[in-house]
Formats: sequence, structure tokens, C-alpha cells
Amino acid sequence: MKKKKCIAMLLAGGQGSRLGLLTKVMAKPAVPFGGKYRIIDFPLSNCTNSNIDTVGVLTQYQPLELNSYIGSGQPWDLDMSYGGVYVLPPYMTAKSGEWYSGTANAIYQNIGFIQQFDPEYVLILSGDHIYKMDYNRMLTAHIERNADITIAVRPVPWEVAPSFGIMNTDADHNIIEFEEKPKHPKSNLASMGVYIFTWKVLKEYLEADNADPNSKNDFGKNIIPSLLRDKKNMLAYEFADYWKDVGTIASLWEANMDLLQENPEFDLTDPRWKIYSRSPVMPPQYLGKNAVVQNSMLTEGCQVFGTVKHSVLFAGVVVEEGAVVEDSVLMPGTTVKAGAVVKRAIVAEDCVISANAKVGEDEGDIALIGQATTLPEGYVVKAGTQVDTDALRGEA
Amino acid sequence: MKNDVMGIIYTSKDDLALRELTSQRAVAAIPVAGRYRMIDFPLANMVNSNIHNVGIIAQKNYQSLMDHLGSGKDWDLHTRNNGLFFLPPFTTRDNNGEYNGIMDALRSNFDYLRRSKQDYVILTDSDYVMNTTFDAMIEQHIKSKADITLMYQKVTPAITEFSSSSKNNHVYMGVDADKNVVGLEVNPNAAAYDNLFLSILMVKRTLLIYLVDQAISRGSHDLYADVLIPAIQANSLKIMGYEETSYYRRVETIRGFFNLNLELLTAEAAAALFDANPVFTKTRDSVPTIYRGNAKVTNSLVADGCVIEGEVENCVLFRGVRVGKGAKLKNCVIMQDSYVEDDVELENVIFDKEVTIRSHGRLIGQAQYPIVIGKNITL
Repeated sequence: MKKKKCIAMLLAGGQGSRLGLLTKVMAKPAVPFGGKYRIIDFPLSNCTNSNIDTVGVLTQYQPLELNSYIGSGQPWDLDMSYGGVYVLPPYMTAKSGEWYSGTANAIYQNIGFIQQFDPEYVLILSGDHIYKMDYNRMLTAHIERNADITIAVRPVPWEVAPSFGIMNTDADHNIIEFEEKPKHPKSNLASMGVYIFTWKVLKEYLEADNADPNSKNDFGKNIIPSLLRDKKNMLAYEFADYWKDVGTIASLWEANMDLLQENPEFDLTDPRWKIYSRSPVMPPQYLGKNAVVQNSMLTEGCQVFGTVKHSVLFAGVVVEEGAVVEDSVLMPGTTVKAGAVVKRAIVAEDCVISANAKVGEDEGDIALIGQATTLPEGYVVKAGTQVDTDALRGEA
Repeated sequence: MKNDVMGIIYTSKDDLALRELTSQRAVAAIPVAGRYRMIDFPLANMVNSNIHNVGIIAQKNYQSLMDHLGSGKDWDLHTRNNGLFFLPPFTTRDNNGEYNGIMDALRSNFDYLRRSKQDYVILTDSDYVMNTTFDAMIEQHIKSKADITLMYQKVTPAITEFSSSSKNNHVYMGVDADKNVVGLEVNPNAAAYDNLFLSILMVKRTLLIYLVDQAISRGSHDLYADVLIPAIQANSLKIMGYEETSYYRRVETIRGFFNLNLELLTAEAAAALFDANPVFTKTRDSVPTIYRGNAKVTNSLVADGCVIEGEVENCVLFRGVRVGKGAKLKNCVIMQDSYVEDDVELENVIFDKEVTIRSHGRLIGQAQYPIVIGKNITL
């Protein structure tokens, strides 16, 4: 078979536990974002737009939703006869079988998959961030500098730098030091979790890492420090555009609200860099005779008869007459019944906010309603509280 | 489960009363209901009836239709066997790119008909919207051992109003208590029957091949005058009627098109056309629609990718429409990627695709005679 120059491996097995109830039944990359997308649409669309046509998606935690969403890869033009998208869960072999014990181990267990394509380079991605990036430019830099690894970095505000993996570089962008969550960072260049490896080098390090019983089999903790120790050619590739971690309820809410600005920092409408997603088959949105919809984003299948202000509504959301939704994110298939009020909240898929219930408050932390929850009539969810069916059952 | 039925969709050229919208496209390719094209409805009915071999007979101006359908993957019709067959005309001695009716079209696509493996064919026009499945008709056709089953609907004021000013192929049928078709009349001034033939019929594939061959070889082209009516009179074929009660609107005139779109703003019509079964269409990967701070949108259908800053009342906005600040739209049908700039006032207007109207423009039509602005025009 013809070899591929560069293939991508997307680490999508993480639970994303900081997203609380949202990731109880689905992996973080499957979490809906921005009206009609899911987090994984961003790295997948970036691959398509960067002409990377072979992507292995490594799944482990709650893979069902993610698997069915990816399907044949058709929405991203990744349904190909040679290449395309492959979902790679952990598997059994004749002798043994084990879960992915770390990010590096997940790639290690799929060396056979990668070898099929005999690539020169492997792009490692995570399904945790919202950004538009041309991986091809990064690959060009990697090839030009004859690097063993290129790590995408992004300047972050100094005050939050201690919560990131920080790269210290020299004047030529060579990485000379890596500090995981340093108390006193020497630089503000944070790793974006996007790596390009020369495959030969990566394979050698994965094999060595696997042989080390003390290793945590993690890129940040083990592989990158080993490369540094061996003084490999390590390049930092600086990326300055919008890049948002949506790993917490607050940051997920904030990133959605970012889209509602008049001239958003993150523009989804660029025809040269489309974000693809699996479209639900639904009719156009309908706004009723007394509907009020302002500063909001709505998509197909929505029906609004009440008031929606400064909110993001996903496919098939219904807001009944007399209901009020403000500063909130309502995920696919949720219904807000007459007289209910939702403020500063994220409501997950297929929920019913019954008549006169109240979710969230004008101030304070974001309230969260978990998947397929039916809130009883008049029920009150305070700011910063998380509620789902199990929580309701516990109260009863 | 797969049916032993194939589908053929005929895209007709009877479009004089729609010429403002069909100068560059077939009737089947007219955008309708915010995000669809006419052909999406017959095609969805096929797919939702588990019909996986669908031929589209195209003629004249089929580029936009072909672009819309692509490989058929948005309808899950890009399968290895069967799937979507786009059948464009090719100029031969007996074909100048335009067919002399459906029999002629079928004759030109004889090979496709012969090569297909299904026992039955459902043949349909593409100038209507309806959301249904053919399951019940298929069952009746097979159980009753009919040679041909014609789908009809009781004429109601609504259907006739939609089609009144044009009489292209208004075929009425007499059906007896046993569902046998006892008479057919084509474009009568005063119809004797109140069953409108919906231009959808089911027939055995080999019989269709035989009928087409018999007709064309004798120089006859008309499905009704040359095939169906003589067969009914001579009682030579068992022709049955199947009554369909789903919401059905044929689009024959600009006014009918306008009324249909605005009728979809009522809950009943929208539910009948959108909710019965999924209606597939070409994916466009539009972003969600954005409503800005001054937007006031009521009783309207809005597709994805719009940016709305003005007032919109009783309108259908297709994908990617922009409505500027201070603009006021009432009773309008605005197609894909049109741009209504600031402070424009529009009432009873149809915009085809990619129309731009500059700031402070004003266009007021009559509900009975909406103003139509053709594709790609800047006002």
C-alpha cells in the first residue's frame, strides 16, 4: 500500500471529570458545543482542512455516544477506502489485553495500526479544546527544522501559567525545558497537547517507555521528559489564535458565550476553514408569534414560543410560551416548559424543565442539569448546583 | 428491510407558470420550506419506504439538480448495489435533451429499467411536497394483484387553490367501492370526479417496460390518452386507486409556491410536512443562525447560517440569509444567501438565491401577486 506522510491519532478516551454530570454518560470529546457541534468536531475538521486524511480515534471511557457520532466519518470527508477515520478501543490479544493505562500507552497499543500506513510523521491530538489550526503548517515547520518532536505552544496569561504544562525555549524555539504545572513559571508558553513526532523516534520511545515498569505511560510525564533528557531535537511551534480549554463547566459555558459577541474572537463562519459536524435531519427553526429571541444562536429543529436572550440553543430545543431562557446553553432535544426560567445554566441533552421550575440565578456559578433529566414542576436549582435523575431520586 | 421496489422520479419541464424561479433550474430543484428543494420530498418518501434504487430522470437545466443530489449520500443512497441513478438526457436521433412526456423519458432510459432487479416500480413526478411512505400502497398493490395502482387524494379547496390557475396534468379519477379505477379525465373544465391523481403510480417493472415499448413503437407518447384511458375502457389492465390522505401541495404557480411556504408557518402544516418522517437534504455545514440584540423575529421559519438584526414577521428565511439593522420584512420568502441590508422594507416578496437589496430599499407586493426577484440580482 502507498504510505501516508502523516497520520493523526486523537486521544479521546478521557473522562473529563471536571465537567461533572455532563460526562457521566459520554466522553468529553462528545460533549456538544456551539449550537451544532461537539468538541471532537474541532480537531477532526482541523485534520480535514489540513489535508490529513487518516485519523485514529482512541476511545476508552463511555465510547458509545462518540462511536455512533463518528460513524463512517462521512461528515468530515473521512469515509475513504484507504485512510479515513478509525475508532480504536482497547482490545484483547491472544496472551493478554488491557485498558489504555496512559496517553502514551494508548498509542503504544496501536503501533500495529500506525505501521499499516507506514507514516513518516504522527500527529497526536486531544479532544479537549476549541480551536482552528492548520496542522500542515506545523508539519512544515517540523520537517524544515528536521525535528524529532514539535509541540504546539500558546502564550497564556502569566497568572494562569502555573496550571499548564510550560515549555521553556531558546531564541530558535528549541525546547530546552518542560515543567508540568510549575509554581514559578519561567515562560508563559503552554503546551496545547498537540504534538508532531517523527514516527521512527516516537516508536522507539514508546517501546522503551513500555519496557519501563515505573513509567506512568504518559506523554507529558514520561515521553517528553525522556526526549529532553536525551537532548533530542525538540521544537516549539507557537500558535497565537483562539484556543480554549473547555474542561470545566465554567469554561465550557464561557466558550459558548464567546460565540455570541458581535465580532467573536472565534469565528465559525470562515468559509475557508469550515467546522464540519454530523447534521441532525430536522426542519428549519420556528419562532412563534410571541417569541423574543435576541443575542442568541439557534439551529435546526428549534421551536421558540417564549423568550430567549443571550443563549445558545442546540437542535430540537423547544422553549414554550411564557418560558424564559437567559445566558444559558441548552443542548439537543431539551424542552423548557411554560413559566420555567433558566438563567446562567447548562442543560444537557433531552431534559425537560417542567412548568415554573427555576434553574440557575442572575449571579453566581453556572447551574448544570445532567442528561435526560426531567425536573419536576416548580423545582428550583440554585446557582452552581448540578442535578440529574439520580440526584432527584436520592432526594425523593 | 429492503423492498422489492425501485423508484423513478420524473423531473418535468412544465414550468411556464413558475418561470421566474425556473429560468435556471428544474421545478424539482426549486428551493422550498427554508432548507429543502422540491425533490427532497419525493426522494424522502422513497427512502422512508425502504426503496434503495432510485432513478432521477433529468432534462434541460439539470445542473442545479445534479449539484443538489451529488452521489446521493445525504439520502444514504450511495450504496454499492442500487443507490441513486442520475439519468440526464443525451442527445440522440430521437432525443434532443427534452422529453415528450414520461413515456418518452422512460423509453430513453430503457437500459436502466431493464438492468434494475426489483419486481416493482413506483413512478412519481417531482412538483409537489408531501411527507409519507409508500408502504400501504405497496401492500395494497401486491395484495390486490393490480397491474397498476394510481395514488389519489380527494380534492379539497386547499389543493385546488394551490393549482387553480394552471392546468398542467390535472388528472381526475373515478374509483368504485372496490378501488377499481373506472374513469380518468385529463384537464377537464368541469371535473366529473373529485379524486385528483397525485402523479404517483406503482406498476410491475416488466409490465412497465412492455407498456412503454408498445406505446412508443406505435408513436404514442401520452401516459393518459395512449395507455391508461384505453386500458380502462377496454378493461385490459387491472387499474386500482389508492387513497393518500397526507398533506399534499402541488406547486404549479408562483402564487401557489408563495402560499405553500407561508402555510408552513402554521403548526398543522409544519407538523404534517416535517414531522411525519425525516426529510433529508444536501448538507451545507452552515453555522447556527445568530439573532442580534435588535432582532425581532416572529411567526417565521429560519434555516441555519442566517444573521438577523432586523424585524422579521411571517417569513421563511433560507440558509445564510442576512437581515440588516432596521430592516422590516413581512410575508416574505427569502432564499439562500440573500442579503437584506439596513433599513430595507419588504412585504409580500420572494427573493431567489443570492439577491441583495441595498440600504433603504422598499418593495411592497400584494399577497395575491408577490414580487419575485430573480437569482443573483442586486437592487
